[in-house]
Amino acid sequence: MKIDLHPKEGLLVNAFLVLFFINAAQTGVGVIGLPRIVFLAAKHDSWISVFLGGLFTSFVLTMMVLMLKKYDSADLYGIQVDVFGKWIGNALNIFYMSYLSISFFVILMNYIEIVQVWIFPDLPTWQISLALILLTIYAVNGGIRIVVGVAFLSVVGTTWMTFILIVPMEYADPKNLLPLMNTDIKHILNGVYKTSLSLMGFELLMFLYPYVKDKKKVFLYSQIGNLITTFIFTAITMVCITFFAENGLARTIWPVLSMFKIVRLPNLERFEFIAVSFWMLIILPNMCCYLWAASKGFSRIIKWKQKKGIWIIGILAWGGSFFIKARYQMNELTDFVAHLGFLTAFCYPVLLSVLVLVKKWFQGRKQSSVEDS
Amino acid sequence: MWRTHNCKLILLTICLIMMILSAGCVQQKPLEKLGLITMSGYDLEGKNILKGTVVVQKFDPMTQAATKVITSKAKTSKGLRQEENLQSNQKLVSGQLRSVVYSRDLAKKGIIQLVDTLNRDSSIGNMVYLTVADQTASEILDIENDNKGNLNLGTYMYNLIKQNVEGEQIISPTLHEFNHNYYDIGKDPVLPILKVKGKDVIISGLGLFKDDRLVDEMKHGDLFYLKILIDKYRAGTKEIGFKKDQLKKIILKDENYTKKPIYSKIYVAIDNIRSKTKIKLVDKKNLRFQVEVRLDSRVLETTQALELGKPSSIKFLEKKFNEAMEKKIEKIVLHFKELGIDPIGFGNEYEAHLRGKTISKKEWDSKYKESTFDIVVKNTIKRTGVID
Repeated sequence: MKIDLHPKEGLLVNAFLVLFFINAAQTGVGVIGLPRIVFLAAKHDSWISVFLGGLFTSFVLTMMVLMLKKYDSADLYGIQVDVFGKWIGNALNIFYMSYLSISFFVILMNYIEIVQVWIFPDLPTWQISLALILLTIYAVNGGIRIVVGVAFLSVVGTTWMTFILIVPMEYADPKNLLPLMNTDIKHILNGVYKTSLSLMGFELLMFLYPYVKDKKKVFLYSQIGNLITTFIFTAITMVCITFFAENGLARTIWPVLSMFKIVRLPNLERFEFIAVSFWMLIILPNMCCYLWAASKGFSRIIKWKQKKGIWIIGILAWGGSFFIKARYQMNELTDFVAHLGFLTAFCYPVLLSVLVLVKKWFQGRKQSSVEDS
Repeated sequence: MWRTHNCKLILLTICLIMMILSAGCVQQKPLEKLGLITMSGYDLEGKNILKGTVVVQKFDPMTQAATKVITSKAKTSKGLRQEENLQSNQKLVSGQLRSVVYSRDLAKKGIIQLVDTLNRDSSIGNMVYLTVADQTASEILDIENDNKGNLNLGTYMYNLIKQNVEGEQIISPTLHEFNHNYYDIGKDPVLPILKVKGKDVIISGLGLFKDDRLVDEMKHGDLFYLKILIDKYRAGTKEIGFKKDQLKKIILKDENYTKKPIYSKIYVAIDNIRSKTKIKLVDKKNLRFQVEVRLDSRVLETTQALELGKPSSIKFLEKKFNEAMEKKIEKIVLHFKELGIDPIGFGNEYEAHLRGKTISKKEWDSKYKESTFDIVVKNTIKRTGVID
């Protein structure tokens, strides 16, 4: 397998779009439950946890870009083979692929659960999952440019929902935030850990990198994208903490949607219907990005056509949807992916980039010593 | 090239067909076949049995009466729905539920199990009004029958409460606010109490809750003070009585109607333009709270001609007002303390200053019993109308 990937000129995307790619890949189903999940760990200081989580992501992104810059135009599949050799590298590749596929599946299933709880209680899972998976396959079939395009549209089309937060703020009790920094550092860090599921998605930059036209600007735009996500998430968490009473937030499974229930438009009394429907626009790029990155593995590792990979993962995900029957199973799976995601999306890239930096440094020294002698 | 293009086209077609087909699979709800529950009431009927009454709004062009009242008995509120469905020719749905009434008996025993089902149901909005009936809930919902379905009770009730909340007469009793106050350790909910008067329903007072149990009732005379303490308050009128010798200094002597007094006291009605209440924890150890109320008000009416032109007499009147209000507010706050209820949210203030540990409901309850309050009212009379 070639380590570097040199796509045709026509397949490249603008560096500016990395911002939207990162933002769209991060914002997904996780954020709907984020305030509660973090609140259970870090209490009323959970917004600090979310903010720190964002900063931590920023750091991981920095390391990632440092690593990617050491190569000419490589993605994670290539880098792992370069660092660990053919066998271990490919084993890790397959592991990462399955992680991406499972993430794809979890996003899909979480969204379906929300639709079933909030709008259509008697809609069978297989129907809606089939529709969503086919839609995703259709988008990913168009290639990376379409995936990035979907991400762009999703961000532009849904950013306005952030402003809806103003309505629940009227009912907010800012005293709930006081006293600041009351939770001890251990719980705050635990909260940061719980944030990982919602912030996941930025690791896909390692797969997008070869396709970016102006690679010097990747760092800047990926950081901006992540910062926007961080601010939005922190704001959402803050509003949720003040809007709900402490024991109330701990009981609400989807606090963001419950909060949207308060919004009333003159001709539409229940805003959450719009919110849930619009959320499909938010998770669609999410699913597209993950499916694209996972299926890319097929063409990189075993040199199949990527299209085959797309269909295989799609069908597997659809088949898997039959096995999830109850909320507690969904919970277990989501928790599992959250743990896995923390390791593979946050910790592993940092470790890998350190390895790459060390390796390149050694190589550089060897080369220079060869040149010297 | 042609093949891939074709493949995509087929995929797109399948996608579209899927979307259309799955849209058809969802349960349809045509409006004519639905009975919209706009209001529901709950009574406790003996042991373990709930009596539920609902007002159903119909969209049936064939019938005259647009609403219907249905009564049934069951163990849970969703069980009631089942029973009620048996009495209706249209499927009952609760997405348009606007207000819920609990009987006084039920409210005294606790209503959280019934509020919980409202929270659990995604089809019920957050802005449903919760109320308590003076006696039974069915009595209130039966008003609809007395009016032969012309009152449209669901809408009437919604407007009755909404109008009074917007007019700042009562404290907003939405489901969200009830939840917030119930689940908050340092605050207790308040809900309006409804009463039947003739063929109408009126708001007779405010029910004070300890957790989810009704413990006391506040008549509307005191609502003004409670509202000041809880909310940012705009536009509310309050009449305050003074003994004659209290205001002797500023009574205009030469006016005619001082000689034939109708009242034995002097009443002054003031209108509160805006108020701001700050609750401060002054002493953390001994739990002393300072309640500072700042009021901007204007004089609307006096039963005796008062000399309102001079700055000194305005100052004097302000001082008298402050004293009267401080006394009254202190009485209310101490009354709350005695009952162990905290609708004002002293607990929240305490919690906001509690560093390094969390407090449980029980701990707060015992602490609340020991707390003391300083009440300061600063009333500014901004205007006295178009005359002095």
